[in-house]
Amino acid sequence: MRSYFSDFPKTALQASYWLFVIYLLLPLALMMAISFKDANFVAFPIDKWTLKWYAQVLQDKQFLEACLYSIFIAVMTTLFATIIGVWIALLISAEGIMARSVIFALACLPAVVPGLINAISLRIFIRVLDIPTGTGAIILGHTVHAVPFVVIMVLTRLRSMPNNLVDAARDLGADSFVAFMRVTLPYLVPALAGGMVFCVLTSIDDFVRTFFLGGYQTTLPMLIFAKVQGGMSPEINAMATLVLIVTAAIGLYAEHFTRRSRM
Amino acid sequence: MMVDSSMTETAKVSPRAGPSYAGWIGKLVASPLYAATIGLIANSHKTRLVLLLAIPLVWIVTLHIGPIYQMARISIMDNYPPAPGGPVYTLDNYRLFFQEPLYFMPFLRSIIFAVCVTATTLIVVYPVAYYVAKVVKPENRTRALLLLLTPFWAGELIRTFSVIMFLANRGAVNVFLREIGLIDRPIILLYNYFSLSFGVIYLISLFMLLPLYSAIEKIPSSLVDAAADLGAGPWQRFRRVILPLSKDGIISGCSLVYLTSIGVFAAPLLLGGPNSTIFPEIIASLFHGSSDKWPEGAAFSILMLAVSLSTVGLFMRVVGGRTVKLM
Amino acid sequence: MQPVVHFRNVNKSYGSSLAVDNLDLAIEPGQFVTLLGPSGCGKSTTLRMLGGFETPTSGEIFLDGQEISKLPPNKRNVNIVFQDYALFPHLNVRRNVAFGLELKGMASDAIHKRTMELLSLVKLTDFAERMPGQLSGGQRQRVALMRALAPNPNVLLLDEPLSALDAKLRQQMQIELKSIQKTTGKTFIFVTHDQEEALTMSDVVVVMNAGRIEQMGDPHTLYAKPRSRFVANFIGETNFIEGRLKAIDGGLAAIEWNGSVVHANLNGQSPSVGNTVAAALRPEAISVLSQKPSNTIAVSGRITQSIFKGDHTSLTISLNNGQSVVAQLDPVALSAVTGDDVWLTWRENDAVVLAD
Ligand SMILES: Nc1ncnc2c1ncn2[C@@H]1O[C@H](COP(=O)(O)OP(=O)(O)O)[C@@H](O)[C@H]1O
Ligand SMILES: [Mg+2]
Repeated sequence: MRSYFSDFPKTALQASYWLFVIYLLLPLALMMAISFKDANFVAFPIDKWTLKWYAQVLQDKQFLEACLYSIFIAVMTTLFATIIGVWIALLISAEGIMARSVIFALACLPAVVPGLINAISLRIFIRVLDIPTGTGAIILGHTVHAVPFVVIMVLTRLRSMPNNLVDAARDLGADSFVAFMRVTLPYLVPALAGGMVFCVLTSIDDFVRTFFLGGYQTTLPMLIFAKVQGGMSPEINAMATLVLIVTAAIGLYAEHFTRRSRM
Repeated sequence: MMVDSSMTETAKVSPRAGPSYAGWIGKLVASPLYAATIGLIANSHKTRLVLLLAIPLVWIVTLHIGPIYQMARISIMDNYPPAPGGPVYTLDNYRLFFQEPLYFMPFLRSIIFAVCVTATTLIVVYPVAYYVAKVVKPENRTRALLLLLTPFWAGELIRTFSVIMFLANRGAVNVFLREIGLIDRPIILLYNYFSLSFGVIYLISLFMLLPLYSAIEKIPSSLVDAAADLGAGPWQRFRRVILPLSKDGIISGCSLVYLTSIGVFAAPLLLGGPNSTIFPEIIASLFHGSSDKWPEGAAFSILMLAVSLSTVGLFMRVVGGRTVKLM
Repeated sequence: MQPVVHFRNVNKSYGSSLAVDNLDLAIEPGQFVTLLGPSGCGKSTTLRMLGGFETPTSGEIFLDGQEISKLPPNKRNVNIVFQDYALFPHLNVRRNVAFGLELKGMASDAIHKRTMELLSLVKLTDFAERMPGQLSGGQRQRVALMRALAPNPNVLLLDEPLSALDAKLRQQMQIELKSIQKTTGKTFIFVTHDQEEALTMSDVVVVMNAGRIEQMGDPHTLYAKPRSRFVANFIGETNFIEGRLKAIDGGLAAIEWNGSVVHANLNGQSPSVGNTVAAALRPEAISVLSQKPSNTIAVSGRITQSIFKGDHTSLTISLNNGQSVVAQLDPVALSAVTGDDVWLTWRENDAVVLAD
């Protein structure tokens, strides 16, 4: 049957799609192109090509340290946010819990509070509690921000879980802990994978919370921010290109993984 | 009789066709150590409930509500840290906001900016989401969507940086326009509202795209067919069937984009100019260094939080949605 | 013999509604027992209380003489086959069946041996490494059955396990289930709302209605001697004979039925003369004759509808006394068409008096 959906001015829609794709991709593509430019200033046209900026970036101790630091923070954030997010999701989906929707709304609160406000409130919070700024504070801030997303992903997955599965495990002799470890947790794997990748990517990317909660050690976004403010150089382009390729690869892989396991 | 466990006791060692079994779990569960620890919790309904409740509730109360509570508390102090003798509570910080145009003008600008960005994003992204959800063949849909998603895996700062390079005086746009002879002096694209909107939309259009896409994709084609069958033209079909049915997506998308754009921080610092100072910069400046403007900053943050959340609430009430889906 | 399962005065209420109402039920070991009743009558609740997934509001449940109503599911030696099978989607067939054995702490080799034995019992050895998603409905059903049997439970509970299968496969599985029950000698408690299924497989059928037991007995008794209108109606097709009880005579009730007097078996009831009583009469118990029989009571009527059903023809007959009955006609016995005048008769004991 022919669908009337396709009756709309199809070409116009198609054009809008491709224009939007160009809008999204062109700036990044050009940024990547300049990273290969053999000149000290960042401008078009590109006459001579080189890989020297990459060589320079890969020897840049500051960059490598920032990378490691950001990765460390991302891993810790992911670890904590996953555990707490799953825990909260389990509570929300538990039988006979009162005020379920209130708990859910509060669990999602950090995701709807604008980023800057969230960062400032955390800055105030740690000062009131006399927690020093630095690694611990950053991880705390990133975790608070990531938890709601883990909760939502896990809840969505839990909702699609046949409620008999846990019963079946209990029936076959598992106590509630074993049933959780052997049935619920494996069932949640796709959601956990998605949630973890999300945590890693948002943590590595986060600027505003790190800006307010960070100490002297620079994270990757802080470094890029400082370099961009300090003046343009193709070295930044090379740095950004490297980071982009790695994060996009992680994202694409996660997308592929969750898509496959959804079937 | 085949189904009898006594048989297995005398089982001969069978060739193991790569089987992996977790018989150790049973032994673990049966061990006294387990029974005295995890087993005790797992088998007691009450302990389990307490454990299930305790950690999440403590987390939510201290870290989701706590910071906002502290922010609200400090916003009504005259000084932070409080002078010896305890804090004096006052509403002066809020009063200051309304008395000083230096503060509330950027605030208004921020709100208007966020509303404009939200509306523009909706108009730009709707046809795109519609195209992917309904025009693209199902087997190509994932690819069409991935093409849109990939740029968002690059971080906020990298994307902002790429926008700077795109719009700079010697950036791609200006070079291109000069090459084709349209201009001979670069036009100023950067450090104004244009670059700011361009960049912010660039950063957050994903939050519009995903909810719209999933809402439009859920509309059964048969409904549109039925409308056409009943004599609705293309515009009427859009206006009277597709638009109302994608309402949930519009609400979610607009709320997310609005809340994100009102709180963007890095982009205005890098893309905005002296004439486009918006509120986040003002607030942030109050917290810089050891300046003692924390109470004012906290009060302004509370105001901004209240206004942004109530705008979303109002919007949802007006449009008639019930829930905001975050994903 | 001590009953393997004994519900004693068990009630289960959800809020103000009573799902199971004062259930008293003893089940002998080694039997195939079916709980039969319409949807919502409390069958699943009964089963789930035995499995440990619901706690009775009041009353006691005994398993092998031990009170178990407060024990968690993992401490009870019963296993359930769920309606939607509830196979673990992340484990293959082999690991699904082994799940309960692993929790018993058996050695790997022993687990493997028993798992493969069970799978060969239902001819699924070749599918051991498949994931549940790659199996057909009937295969999933068998895996679920073997998974529940693997830990060697005292009692196997089956909650409408065949309802997701198509008619053909269902009949095949009914036979298979019955034969597995025979081989293993285990007590099976089977839940269904399909009366034919219940009659086919069971040693004992427990008919439930609105949380109560209506009647319990072997299929033949239930069919031939339903005690209540509900049971008569729920199991098979029935004609109801309603009228004033004229006399009781040698175990037979004489009922005045719109002018004619007919006889029915008292069926253990003791109605008082003069009251209105109802009796049930199965369509196949009625003989359709073209002539008035000389030596028995008979009622006359005219065929108003005749439906060919393959092995028999179902006739709707409008009686001269104003009633309408359904009878079955054996095609070889008599050829009758709509509009024919016929006489109906039945053996007096084939009509049974009902309690209500
Ligand atoms: N968890 C529950 N909460 C409230 N009512 C329930 C619950 N489970 C069952 N019921 C009610 O109890 C009655 C019996 O249900 P059930 O045992 O599932 O019936 P059956 O299996 O015979 O179809 C029904 O009226 C049902 O609505
Ligand atoms: Mg049921």
